[in-house]
Amino acid sequence: MPNKRVSLSEAVSSISDGSHIALGGFAITRCPIAFVHELIRQKKRNLTVSQCIVGMETDLLVAAGCVSHLIYGGGSLDHFGLVEAINRAIARKTITIEEYSSLSICYKYLAGALGLPFMPIKSVMGSDIHRNLKREGADKLIVESTCPFSGEKLLFLKALNPDVTILHVNQCDEEGNAIIYGPKWDNPEAAKAGKRIILVTEEIVPKSRITGAAETVLVPGFRVQMVVHVPYGAYPTSVYKVYDYDAHHLEYYAEQNKDENKLKAYLDENVFGVKDYWEYIEKWGGIRKMQEIKADSHLGY
Amino acid sequence: MEFTRRELMAAAAAMELADGEVVVAGIGLPQVSTVLAVMTHAPNITQVMEIGVVDAKPIHPSVGIADPRSWLEATYYGSFVDVLGMILHRGFVDVGFLSGLEVDQYGNLNTTMIRTPKGDRHINGSGGGNDIASLAKRTIVIMPHEKRKISERVAFLTTPGFMEGGNTRKEAGLRGGGPSRVITDKAVMGFDEASKKMKVISIHPGVTREELVQNTGFPLIVPENVKTTAAPTREQLRWIREVIDSDGLYTGEKA
Repeated sequence: MPNKRVSLSEAVSSISDGSHIALGGFAITRCPIAFVHELIRQKKRNLTVSQCIVGMETDLLVAAGCVSHLIYGGGSLDHFGLVEAINRAIARKTITIEEYSSLSICYKYLAGALGLPFMPIKSVMGSDIHRNLKREGADKLIVESTCPFSGEKLLFLKALNPDVTILHVNQCDEEGNAIIYGPKWDNPEAAKAGKRIILVTEEIVPKSRITGAAETVLVPGFRVQMVVHVPYGAYPTSVYKVYDYDAHHLEYYAEQNKDENKLKAYLDENVFGVKDYWEYIEKWGGIRKMQEIKADSHLGY
Repeated sequence: MEFTRRELMAAAAAMELADGEVVVAGIGLPQVSTVLAVMTHAPNITQVMEIGVVDAKPIHPSVGIADPRSWLEATYYGSFVDVLGMILHRGFVDVGFLSGLEVDQYGNLNTTMIRTPKGDRHINGSGGGNDIASLAKRTIVIMPHEKRKISERVAFLTTPGFMEGGNTRKEAGLRGGGPSRVITDKAVMGFDEASKKMKVISIHPGVTREELVQNTGFPLIVPENVKTTAAPTREQLRWIREVIDSDGLYTGEKA
């Protein structure tokens, strides 16, 4: 079995400026925070990010100036607050956006995952989301059309194939056979649509753990290029059955991201001002904090 | 028995749900209303959450659908395509609960942006809202009743109601039936069958007709013989206060 384990910095080095990356977080859960910190540290530029529901990791990445284009279906920090760095960047036009609904993003991934050029959908049509997505010629994103069998009105969504899909998963073997616990939102289709897949995992498990639960594996391991082992790599967002979100940290973040200077200070302190991810975890309370937010095995949080 | 406005809203929303229906309900009043229906008259409701969760039984309040507290003891975990795709898009969702920054006279919702003197300010976007509004057999909108939130025309049409009224929703090609009710802290509203304009079904106890009209951003249709919204029953209040929302987070005096 090929061993695809690499360090965080090696995995991030493989992403070139201008790439299209799909990120696998959802608001405040399973956000690939460690990976995004490293993208920021390596000063990646002009990234296109796609995601069905954006959350903390994408807000950080936009705040750090790494993103030039965002393809998404909305997002927030749930009741903690809004993705203010993204909202500010939209208002100031420092990023361009293609804004869809959650399902339409997933259908774009699904088309990409199936190797189809487009996918018909029966939502979005007639809304201002639809109106804002109208482009001409080579930039065309959606087409109003009809079913060739029944004549029913349909909207065709152009397939999405990210250069790299980056997901934070519960468990993974060295080949990239991964298991996610709980709901999976856009992750299965985002992974399968990706030209490359990089998995950040809480835990490296032996192959026997995978063969004993093969029906739960996210995507066959041969599709995965890199596996990065980063325990607590989604902190302060939650990983179902491993740790809860850190409410105190998220409340703090939702205050900082309202103000550009405060957010810059947050990045200086938590990303640029630490020598590695472990130092960031230490800063927020280290083992003691991780023990406090450790998930109960029945509840999963 | 005394009750809060939000307890009344929860009970009114619960009464809109029938046994055996499939319901998409987010955190807050929609979930309280759905669980209330399950506990009282509609035990066989299936609850779907867009993140990929079916029939969860939460015991702790959560901060949103990304909070694992809202996934507890579910019977199914899948993806968006599994749930919003193969349940909602397929046509199996009877009722979707929606809310937003603003709803207009045709039940269109804005969850994308607000206009400010300094320019447009982007907020959350659609999430699954547009998909639910487009595809559910009917939707129920829950809103605070304020003039700027119940407006003539939404600043941004994120999720379609009856669009421009009349037949325009059907003509756009949408399969779902559109909004059936708008439940606010002042009234329960429906839509005129032909014009698809919002009209009052019942006014909450203690709210005057004038108060209602003054707090609505367009000339609201109030029928002459309009009813008063039914007060929550003793049984409904007991379920809300003792079981479903015992901390009063969503239905209490300060909610």
